[in-house]
Amino acid sequence: MTDAHLTRRTLLRYGAYGAGAAALAGTAASWDRLTGADIPGRDDGSLVVATLGPAYGPEAVRTLTEGFKEVHPDIKLRINAVQAVDWSDFFAKILTQIAAGTAPDLVYVATEGVQLFAERLGVALDKWVKRDADELREYFADVHPSLVESMMYEGSLYQLPVEFNAADMYLNRQVLDRAGAGFPAADWTRDDFTALLREMKRSSGSQFTPYFWTNRLWGGVVPWLFANGTNLLAESKAPGGRWLWDGFYPAAERRGRGGGFRWTTPQATDVRVEEAYDYLASLIQEDLCTRPEGGNGQNLVGVFSTGRVGVTPAGGFWAGGLHLAGMKAADYDVQYFPRWRTQRMQFGAAGYALLRTSQRQEEAWEFIKYAARRDTLMRLFETNQTTPARRSMLTADRYRETGPRHWQVFYDTLDKFPDTGPIPAPPQVAEVEQVLLKHTGTALASRRSVGPALRRMQNDLERAMEREI
Amino acid sequence: MTDTQTPRIQAVRPRAATPAAPPPKASARDRGTRLLAALFLAPTVVGIVVFTVVPIAGSIVLSLFHWNVIDDPEFAGAANYREVFTDSTVLVSFRNTLVFMVLAVALQLLIALVLALAVNGRMPMWLRSVFRSAFFFPLVLSAASISVVMKYLFNQDFGVVNWLLGLVGIAPVPWLTSENAAMTAVVLVYVWQQFGFSFLLFVGGLNNIPKEIHEAASLDGATGLRKHLSVTLPLLSPTLLVASVVGIINALQVFEQPYVLTNGGPGDATRTVVMVIYESAFEQLRFGEASAVGVLLFVLIMAVTALQFRLSRRFVHYQ
Repeated sequence: MTDAHLTRRTLLRYGAYGAGAAALAGTAASWDRLTGADIPGRDDGSLVVATLGPAYGPEAVRTLTEGFKEVHPDIKLRINAVQAVDWSDFFAKILTQIAAGTAPDLVYVATEGVQLFAERLGVALDKWVKRDADELREYFADVHPSLVESMMYEGSLYQLPVEFNAADMYLNRQVLDRAGAGFPAADWTRDDFTALLREMKRSSGSQFTPYFWTNRLWGGVVPWLFANGTNLLAESKAPGGRWLWDGFYPAAERRGRGGGFRWTTPQATDVRVEEAYDYLASLIQEDLCTRPEGGNGQNLVGVFSTGRVGVTPAGGFWAGGLHLAGMKAADYDVQYFPRWRTQRMQFGAAGYALLRTSQRQEEAWEFIKYAARRDTLMRLFETNQTTPARRSMLTADRYRETGPRHWQVFYDTLDKFPDTGPIPAPPQVAEVEQVLLKHTGTALASRRSVGPALRRMQNDLERAMEREI
Repeated sequence: MTDTQTPRIQAVRPRAATPAAPPPKASARDRGTRLLAALFLAPTVVGIVVFTVVPIAGSIVLSLFHWNVIDDPEFAGAANYREVFTDSTVLVSFRNTLVFMVLAVALQLLIALVLALAVNGRMPMWLRSVFRSAFFFPLVLSAASISVVMKYLFNQDFGVVNWLLGLVGIAPVPWLTSENAAMTAVVLVYVWQQFGFSFLLFVGGLNNIPKEIHEAASLDGATGLRKHLSVTLPLLSPTLLVASVVGIINALQVFEQPYVLTNGGPGDATRTVVMVIYESAFEQLRFGEASAVGVLLFVLIMAVTALQFRLSRRFVHYQ
């Protein structure tokens, strides 16, 4: 047993410690929450623009910074190229910056995050677009209304699209020749596609996979859902947006436009959704395509350029990628996604979103306009690492060195199929995407597993869509 | 009450009745020594408080709130815990993590022990150094970059592993695309990287076993496996305890390998608890629920570790 008696001095000492600790805790509790912005020197007065690192290398950052400085020498600009493996990872890192109190003024946001940012973080650009309408008329005349509509949310415009990528079909010419097959026609069907895969498989042996696809929201199952005239979530359009369509687009182009897309009720158990999954499951069973977990973009360039894959869906971004991998313009080509019930195709677009927390909104708007200028995009997208949102930039000259031969397909996916639309990306997109990827994996284990997996997907999607973001 | 207890009680009473004797005054030198010790300890203590105690306390507090980073936190009571306990993905992730832990730790310890015994046997010094370095090397590499490389190797259609299996007539294995094979692949990649740590511990432990004991066992007629089971293993048990405690704690927090190799799939087959925490917080903006899962994982790790130390009283032998 120890001695429990305290001397008066000890008692006073511990009392003082306690009082000190209480005073410290009280002081700390009474302070406003400290954030990264409170660190001296952190806020240097620059307009901060967060971009997706891999898409914006040092050269692109220099182009943006120096070009902007020439036009606006009074605005200090800092480009924060955030390294991330995909858009989901990028948004997670941006949200971490926001949580830390170091939110950028502008964020480069793709379709995957347009509604999330619009709903919770973004500022509508309507008042600036209306104010600078004369300056922007040339921009809207050059950009397809589907791209602009994909950047609208509940009647307001949140971003000016600068790039997009639709899921078209890339075909390896060497594999086509080996199979003795011709280049498919623009109106080829799903059955033509299946027959082509069988021909390729027959002529290329066991180490060859005719169709390679990646399980993700953009370019995975979704293009097949679109082709079969359905979607993962019921799609409709928000009212509004007349101010924009009437102001910038001719009557023929504004027909059917609204205030942005709404994706609401999950419909994973829809018959057409099940048909699309059944079809992919049958391709897997026939050994004509990769399993959902087997395909990923990291090794795709390698296996396609070496003739171990015949066909894969990709956007204009791949022309630059294949060229860098050593493929010549004549080694591959691109065609529209095959027709099923429809030939509606899917795309994702990207532009700069202005954050509500920004103290430099006027300067940020100037950057948004600068980033959408033709000369800026010409310098930024020199290597065909994406499809420019401006139609006038897609020329034979641009694709002469990299290919593909049918480069017109990229923009004609919008012009010739005006119902082509964005991938379904409601504000709950992160959970929707996770549910889609997870259940697509189990659904395609066999043809019998499609139904049960889609029912589980439906339940999880309903739960995800009920959540408040 | 026995007679022997009485004097002890009596001895205590008078001490309690009289005022305590003042403690001997510390000399200036003693005080200086204590101050110096406190100064040396301060960085570690401050580090633990700032980077461990405060985040743990913060997670516990945050688990009682709904918070999406954008808006102010909103008190939720036990709602996050109720949500977590009814979320099938969370429950599956705990099951997966426990299965992973059992498989990975068992395999890791077994491989490390066998290799440590082999390296500790008769072999030239230089060769021993080569093996030690080779087995430890994967541990210093980034788990994420290893997993990226392994993802290529284990690819069903284009991977080297299946190509090699094909050379001996084995059909392609869906390493990352079937539920059982995916967990196996994740365990193999994890163990390949991690066993070097246990290996080093075992090599150190084996070197600490006096040769005389082995010699005595040999004189008593023990050979081979019997000698290892009756002499080496009991004397190595303190090292085994350390290796298993560290191994289990690390395995329960596995993230990089399943995240990169399978992204938790197919379905939820390889989704682990830390993956769920990451996804809930940073992808779905549900920091309260993520914290609740984190608190549960913390409790699980504490419980498993406490159980290990309790069992160690029976199975660990100190010389």
